[in-house]
Amino acid sequence: MIQFQEVSKHYENHTALRKITFSIQKGEMVFITGPSGSGKTTLLKLIYLAEKPDEGSISVAGVTFSRVKEARVPLLRRNIGVVFQDFRLLENMKVFENVALSLRIRGLNDRDLKARVFDALKIVNLRHRADSFPETLSGGEQQRIAIARAIVSEPSIILADEPTGNVDPETSRGIMDTFKDINARGATILIATHNRELIRQTGRRVFKLQNGDLLGEEIG
Amino acid sequence: MQSILREKWINLVSVLTIAAGLLLTTVIVLSVYNIDLATGKLPEKFSMMVYLRDDLSQERRTDILDDIKDDGAVKSVTYIPKDEALDELKSTFKDIAYVIDGLEENPLSDSLEVKLKSEAFGPETVKELSAKLKKIQGIEEIEYGEKFLSSIHSLKVGIRNIGFLFIVIMSVGMIFVCYSTVKILFYRKNREIETYKLLGATKGFIRAPFMIEGAVVGLSSGLLGLAGILLLYYLIIIKLSFAIPLFKTIVFPIHMSLFLPVIGLLIGLTGAFLAIGRIKY
Repeated sequence: MIQFQEVSKHYENHTALRKITFSIQKGEMVFITGPSGSGKTTLLKLIYLAEKPDEGSISVAGVTFSRVKEARVPLLRRNIGVVFQDFRLLENMKVFENVALSLRIRGLNDRDLKARVFDALKIVNLRHRADSFPETLSGGEQQRIAIARAIVSEPSIILADEPTGNVDPETSRGIMDTFKDINARGATILIATHNRELIRQTGRRVFKLQNGDLLGEEIG
Repeated sequence: MQSILREKWINLVSVLTIAAGLLLTTVIVLSVYNIDLATGKLPEKFSMMVYLRDDLSQERRTDILDDIKDDGAVKSVTYIPKDEALDELKSTFKDIAYVIDGLEENPLSDSLEVKLKSEAFGPETVKELSAKLKKIQGIEEIEYGEKFLSSIHSLKVGIRNIGFLFIVIMSVGMIFVCYSTVKILFYRKNREIETYKLLGATKGFIRAPFMIEGAVVGLSSGLLGLAGILLLYYLIIIKLSFAIPLFKTIVFPIHMSLFLPVIGLLIGLTGAFLAIGRIKY
C-alpha cells in the first residue's frame, strides 16, 4: 500500500530523512517511533504530498508520486485521512462543520453527509459535542475530533502524527482502541509517536527512526 | 456569505470606495458623452464658402457646382448669387444699409455654400477639400473658420483622451481596491486554506468563496454607484435645470448607467481572481 525506496529529504541546513526504504501492506497498522526531530512528521508529509522527496521514489496505493501532476494531488489526498499533530481544526467552525469539511470537499450534500458525520463523532465518543466550537474542547477532545475528520470519508489510508500527544494515558488508550477499530474495518494505518508505552504489546510492526535514518523495525 | 459578514468593515469600505470610483467614472463618461454630442452638431452648422469669379458663364458655374457635389465628403452645395448676398448683408446690417445703397456696384461675388457630411467632418478633410477646390478654375477664394475648427477638434480629441485615460486609471484603481480586500482576507485565512488543501480540496473549491466575495463586493458597489448616479440626476441636475437653463441641455442616457452593476461585478471578479493568484499544492 505504501512503499518508500531509498527516499531522502534535505532541508537547507539538515537532512530530515536519509535513504529510507520500507513497505507497508494493505490493512496493516504500523508505528513509526523516534525522538523529536527524528523525521517522523517529514515521513508522513511525504505520504500525503505536503513535501516532495529529493531522492528516491514513493508509491502509495499503486500511484508513483514522481509521475503525479499537480492537478491530481487533491484527488490523491482524498484517499488519505490525516490526523495532524496540531489538529488543524478550524476555530470559526463548529465541531460538526469541521468533521463535515472532509465530505464537503468531496462534494457530498448536506443530507448525505449528516449521518456520516454523526457516525464518525460516535466512534470517537463526541457526538454530544457536535455543536461546540473547537476552542471550548479539551486537548484530548480536539484530538478525537481531528480523528473523526480523518476517518469520516472512509479513506483507505490513515496517517496520525502524535495522535496521543496531548492527552492523558486513559484517553490515549481510548484513541488507540479507535484506531484498532478503524484498522479492523480494513484501513491501512500509520501512526507516528514518540510514546513507546503506546506501542508496547500491540503486536504491530514498529519502524525506528533516528536523525533521519531508519534504524530498523521490530514488533511492538 | 458568513465570511462577508465576518469581515463586514473591510468589505463595506471597499464597497464605498469602488462605488465612489464608479460614480466619478460615470460622471466623467457622461461629461465626455455630452461634449461629444455638442461638438457632433457642428457639421450641421459648419459651412465652407466658395467665392466664384465674376466672369463665369452659367454653364461653367453649373460644372463647378456639380464637381463639388461629386466629392464624397460633401453633403450639399447651395448657389448664392451676389445680389442675394448683398440683400442678406443689408438685412444683417440694417443700421448702415444706406452705406451699402451708396455703392455704385455690388462688391460681392457669386458664391457656393458647401456643407459637409457629419462622418467626413474634421479639420483634415476640410483642409484637403479646400486645397482641392482651390485648383478648380473659376474659384476665386475659399473661406472657413480654420482655426476655430481645429481648436474645437483638438478640444474634442483632448477631452476624449483625458476621459479614456481617466477611465483606465479609475478601473485599475477600483480593481486594486478589490484585489487588496480579497488579498487581505486570503492572507487572514491562510491557515484555513492550507487545511483545505491538505484535506484534498481542489483549486476551484478554495477559490469559490473568494470569487463570490469579490463578486458580492463588486456588484454591491455597482448597485450603490447606480443609486448614486440616479440620485445625482433626479435630485440635483433636474432641479438645477429649472434654475439654470444650461443644465437642460445635459443628455443623460439612463441605459448607460444600468451597466454599472455589471461593470462592478466584473471589477470585483477581476480583483478577486488576481488576488488569489496561482494556488500551489
